[in-house]
Amino acid sequence: MKKQTRNILRVAIITSIVVLVGVTLWFNLTSDSQAVQVGDDAVDFQLETLDGGTVQLSEINEDRGVILNFWGTWCEPCREEMPDMNTIYNEGHDEYELIAVNVSEGEQQINQFLMSLDEELSFPIALDRNRDVTKAYQIGPLPTTIAIDKSGVVVEKQEYQLSVDDIYNFVEQSTSE
Amino acid sequence: MELNEIECASCGHVNPPGTQLCQSCGKMINSDYDKKKIKDLMRYDGSAIRSKTRSRSIFDKIWIFFTSIKVGVSIILLIAVAASVGTLFPQEYFIPVGADPLQYYTEHYGTLGRLYYELGFHNLYSSWWFILLMGMLALSIISASIDRGVPLYKSLKNPRAKKHPTFYRRQRLNLHDADSGSIAGVIEGLKKKGYKVKSEGRHHLLEKGRLSRWGPYINHTGLILLLFGSMLRFFPGMYVDELIYITEGETVQLPETEGEYYVENNEFIVDIYEEGGSVFDETLQNTNEVITSNYQTDITFYENQNVDVVGAQPDLQKVEDYSIRVNHPYRFDQFELYQSSYDNSQMKSMTFQLEDSNEQVIGEPFTIDLDDPDRTYDVGDGMEVNMRAYAPDFVEIDDNGALISQTPVATNPAFVFEVTDGDSSELSLLQIMLSTDITQDNEYNVRFVENENHMATVLTLKKDLTLPIIATGFGIFLIGLFIGSYINHRRIWINDEDGFSIGAHTNKNYFGLKKDIDPVLKENGYDEIFDRDATDFDEGVIIGEEK
Repeated sequence: MKKQTRNILRVAIITSIVVLVGVTLWFNLTSDSQAVQVGDDAVDFQLETLDGGTVQLSEINEDRGVILNFWGTWCEPCREEMPDMNTIYNEGHDEYELIAVNVSEGEQQINQFLMSLDEELSFPIALDRNRDVTKAYQIGPLPTTIAIDKSGVVVEKQEYQLSVDDIYNFVEQSTSE
Repeated sequence: MELNEIECASCGHVNPPGTQLCQSCGKMINSDYDKKKIKDLMRYDGSAIRSKTRSRSIFDKIWIFFTSIKVGVSIILLIAVAASVGTLFPQEYFIPVGADPLQYYTEHYGTLGRLYYELGFHNLYSSWWFILLMGMLALSIISASIDRGVPLYKSLKNPRAKKHPTFYRRQRLNLHDADSGSIAGVIEGLKKKGYKVKSEGRHHLLEKGRLSRWGPYINHTGLILLLFGSMLRFFPGMYVDELIYITEGETVQLPETEGEYYVENNEFIVDIYEEGGSVFDETLQNTNEVITSNYQTDITFYENQNVDVVGAQPDLQKVEDYSIRVNHPYRFDQFELYQSSYDNSQMKSMTFQLEDSNEQVIGEPFTIDLDDPDRTYDVGDGMEVNMRAYAPDFVEIDDNGALISQTPVATNPAFVFEVTDGDSSELSLLQIMLSTDITQDNEYNVRFVENENHMATVLTLKKDLTLPIIATGFGIFLIGLFIGSYINHRRIWINDEDGFSIGAHTNKNYFGLKKDIDPVLKENGYDEIFDRDATDFDEGVIIGEEK
């Protein structure tokens, strides 16, 4: 084997093993954390709402920012942040839409929860019966709230209860240009 | 180590740096080398091992590092130790589904468990350092094979029949006899035993089983293929192994198929062995246990015609019905759906009976579907039961009177029932074991009768495109192992330049080589061949090289 051939062979083999191991590690590390993060494009979805209509993210997102709130009736922080969200939503929501995505609960449970509230929730409640959207966004704990700006990019994400200030922050983020 | 080319003092052939035995005549030319290491010398007929000659660029340095047998063995040892440590506690896929791994390992195995988790032993085969070790193993195998394979190829490709007399004497098996008359007979005799003869004048080389020398290289090729196949498992779309939980009557989307396929669980069946004239009767009589003969899920397989937006109503087109049994998976595309286990721990419905205060039954029992409860139950006799509130996993009553549930799973259901006879109504709170009157002096009592559980099947969705590669790798590995272990490379040098000289070498099984040679020598009137090692045993002394 000539010296040149030998060098090419060595460099080629070492490089390809390094590249293959690198790619393997990269695939391995990214496979666990496909959760939608700040900076990612929002995944489009279409869900039925509690009042019988449908919402599609891309339609709403055309000219408004969107806040997605994933929740369940059994989750205490979710129940606690709902009235605050409602108050702030009622102050005006021309620039954004808030969708409360219920994760896989029966309508009886949702209605029972809504009845126990002091006032009616003004924002739409979407029903993610099969957790399709929850899975697509890789939602972990409830509540998880995501702000999507007008260009369809996730700009804020919080995996615990929202304070009033947090909600204003989400509104601001979702309506920013 | 000398980096200069070495000229053989005996025949004048110019050898590459690092050469131990002259490539032309076989005389030992590198005096630094421990002369007693005859076996090592003979492996590549004394040619230089590539990596031991030069080191220049960073690539050369890496290469040379990994060609070292010591490094290779260390890597293998590290892998073996890591793999053993990985068996001390269960791997992550054996801990309960949904449990937080950090919490689980810390709770069950203490600080060691936490360390186990932090270091990635809980997912050993996909931890970054294990993958890195595998990559290093691959590099070690490839570089060591090339570095040793090239000189081996050279030494085997065009062997010289002519060797220096000292070469003969250095062989473990050798013999010298003044009478060279029967050399043709010896060669003829060995030819009959399958040896190929190469002659250069009065010098002859007889050889068989050369393939044996390639055994390790073949099995290394198999190993590399194996490593490559297991690496591909990390690549998206190559390998899938997922549990799918389907309650009876439910239709679920299959993961990893981009929403294209759905499966409905029509029924989950457990069959048991029953006595009745079969060969199993005797066994069944000897045991009190119920022995299952069949686990089966009857499914309907659907294709979604509306793969569009996440969450959108699927448009399901039935493909076919199938009964999945253990080891009889349903196959579609490159996937297989296996029967894995079942679960009947989830509550499906509860049945209640209305009674009056004297425990007299009123009307018919009514059943509440816990997943989708109705609001009103007409029990007959003019009586109605309204379900005012329901908590699947009851913990407490909120300040505003609402029932608070801890989880969405029906593990501890509680209800507020309103019993009405048209004129008046009364309320009661009912938990599984407990009934509390909310209104005063209740006339009626709702009694729990029974509950029914969901029957859910657990299937495993599998896809493994790496299997053909891994299987081929194993096959080649075994072939290489066989060739290396059971075929012997035997070489015999004969010349009649100065009487009759014979020397013989094999990579394993000298006994077999002697059995090849001795009868032939005997037929032609020579003594048995001299075996240096055997003599060592007999006399208990080490005999020097120059006999």
